[in-house]
Amino acid sequence: MNFETLLSRGLIRPAKASPVAGAGFPFGLGASGLHELAEAAYGDRAAMTGFLLAAMQPAARGAWLWVQQGAIGRDSGYVPEAALSASPARLRLTVRARNTREALWATEEAIVSGAASMVVAEVEDADFTATRRLALASGRYGVPVALLLPYSCSGPTAASARWRISPRPSAPNRYDPHAPGYPRWRAVLERCRTAPSVAGQAFDLEWNDETLSLGVARGLAAGPPAPHAAPGAPGPRRKAG
Amino acid sequence: MVAANAPARAAGIETGLRLADAKATLPYILSEEIDRAADLKALTALAMWMVRFSPLAAFDGEDGLMLETTGCDHLFGSEAAMAAELSRRLAQAGYTHQIAVAGTPGAAHALARGAGLGEHPILPSGEERGGLAHLPMAALRLSPETLTLLRRFGLTRIGQLYDIDRQALTRRFRSREAAHAVCLRLDQALGRRAEPFAPLRPAPEYAERLPCPEPLTSPEGVRDGLRQLTEKLCACLSSSGLGAQGFAFRAFHSDGGMASVSVNAARPVHAPEHLLRLFREKLDGIDPGFGIDLLLLEAARTAPMETGSHPLSGDLAGSDFDSVAIAALSDRISARLGEGAVTLTARQARHPPYKAERQMAYMAQVPDKAPQPLTGPRPVRMLARPEQVSVMAQVPDGPPLQFVWRRRLRRVVRADGPERIAPEWWTHLPQAAEEAGNLPRTRDYYRIEDNEGRRYWVFREGLYDDGRGALPDWFMQGLFA
Repeated sequence: MNFETLLSRGLIRPAKASPVAGAGFPFGLGASGLHELAEAAYGDRAAMTGFLLAAMQPAARGAWLWVQQGAIGRDSGYVPEAALSASPARLRLTVRARNTREALWATEEAIVSGAASMVVAEVEDADFTATRRLALASGRYGVPVALLLPYSCSGPTAASARWRISPRPSAPNRYDPHAPGYPRWRAVLERCRTAPSVAGQAFDLEWNDETLSLGVARGLAAGPPAPHAAPGAPGPRRKAG
Repeated sequence: MVAANAPARAAGIETGLRLADAKATLPYILSEEIDRAADLKALTALAMWMVRFSPLAAFDGEDGLMLETTGCDHLFGSEAAMAAELSRRLAQAGYTHQIAVAGTPGAAHALARGAGLGEHPILPSGEERGGLAHLPMAALRLSPETLTLLRRFGLTRIGQLYDIDRQALTRRFRSREAAHAVCLRLDQALGRRAEPFAPLRPAPEYAERLPCPEPLTSPEGVRDGLRQLTEKLCACLSSSGLGAQGFAFRAFHSDGGMASVSVNAARPVHAPEHLLRLFREKLDGIDPGFGIDLLLLEAARTAPMETGSHPLSGDLAGSDFDSVAIAALSDRISARLGEGAVTLTARQARHPPYKAERQMAYMAQVPDKAPQPLTGPRPVRMLARPEQVSVMAQVPDGPPLQFVWRRRLRRVVRADGPERIAPEWWTHLPQAAEEAGNLPRTRDYYRIEDNEGRRYWVFREGLYDDGRGALPDWFMQGLFA
């Protein structure tokens, strides 16, 4: 019995061909093309960063380039290496740019060089021309790009998708009802070229930082979360210091 | 009087004269306060410019420069031609100068001070004894007291020292050091004792030069010259199996100026295209002006090139990324955005969260991916420096209930903590008891969430009864996702 007969009788099945990129959540974020993430309001950058690191498909092993405009770094801080420990980045280089022009230039240079497997750019503004350039370069050289934008960004874009991220009250903590639990975010898919039908949908997501899985949040707490019945045994205590 | 120009010297005004005496001799003399700092600056600039004659230049006292010209004279034909060319250039730039070439620094120093204007004495190596005999003792780099004493002995010419018994000479000085200085300077001038040469800049390991018979006046010409130089230098480097990390391109203007740009590479390179690309961003810094007559390209920090073959497939690769391509990308970005624009975050085994990581310029280091010690939850964004928050309501030894950060009142809904991180006491040992107030304080970190769902990492600096200053303050350290 050779391979073909096995195949024809349905005894074996070829591994399913990879689905069309960008058809389902997260619509190609971190896998291909240019994706925009924007804050819903000032101060949501941490939630946006967390969403990016949690939601992106871990395809981009290798070297990451994190381009940051200086003003954003001073305002919202830097992303420490510890936050990337679960990501596929093997080497992360930070580029500090003085202004938007330099940041966009460095981003494009990184895409075109083909040396980086993923480029994240934090800029204060990116107009249609800039995003078009980045989207074309990203498509041609196959390097995924994530553009992290401030809340003020709302104009037209050439990116594959634009997400708008805001934090939500975190999940109830199993061990301590007074402590924050797993982080939750609301991610609104404002635009999406690969799946236009889902554009405008909102996703309420919960990130389990122990199993490293992103799921749809259940029973989203509207107000302060209801106290949960604590399990019999006290939870593992975290070591201080 | 520290210095006088030629007409003044002709009127009998010498250095060492008092200004009042000089004015008595020449009532209309112009004088100016000496500015040693400006002199030093000008001399340094001149020493840097000397690189067109020799890469090794050093200060010789406060008013002289010393060049190590071994192996450089053939570029000009001969030592005499080199001295003439140097003299012509200096005269063009308006410098009064005296030049001498000799086999030892001491002899050159003495000859140059004894030489008249316009003559360039050249003393072949080994003939110092005869060549220096007629020169005054002052040319021997001795202190004024020693010179006075020698003059009292009747010793005014260097040659008179040759046949004097050293022990007899030593006995006549009050201190042994002064006597030894005389012998040392004499021996150094005659080449009996070695004299260390301390150049201002280390010599480049590789350099290429391109003299232009017809001065270049267009940026295209400069670019073309740079291309030729780069190709020659890279061929030279690669034939030795080397690459370099630092490159400096210097353009000498025919009117005496010099412009210089440098680029750095994260790892040794010897690819001309890469170098040209790095220089392209910076060539605007070179203005051809009235013409450029010499181009110079230097390579520093050379190291053997790591040449390896590409792995057959990604699975066989030693790392997940192409470090050569990454280094090239980093070079290009640094060339345009400035040195240090590309940084690598390195972890450090230290407890304070702000010291757990360090930013360093990317120089093709391999990141350390060793497992890290377990800590509490760490935020996704860290503020470069903690920002003070004013806490409205607090309970001792507990998280804040309300606080103002960046002008907004935030109500804390949930909190987790504290994670107590003690300071590194071994870095701040108390010198005295009264300094206890300046010691670093223990920090209690809390993970808190406000009513809008934003999560923060705040800490209280200090405990309430630690005796290290006033009441504790609260700070914002980072932001959780």
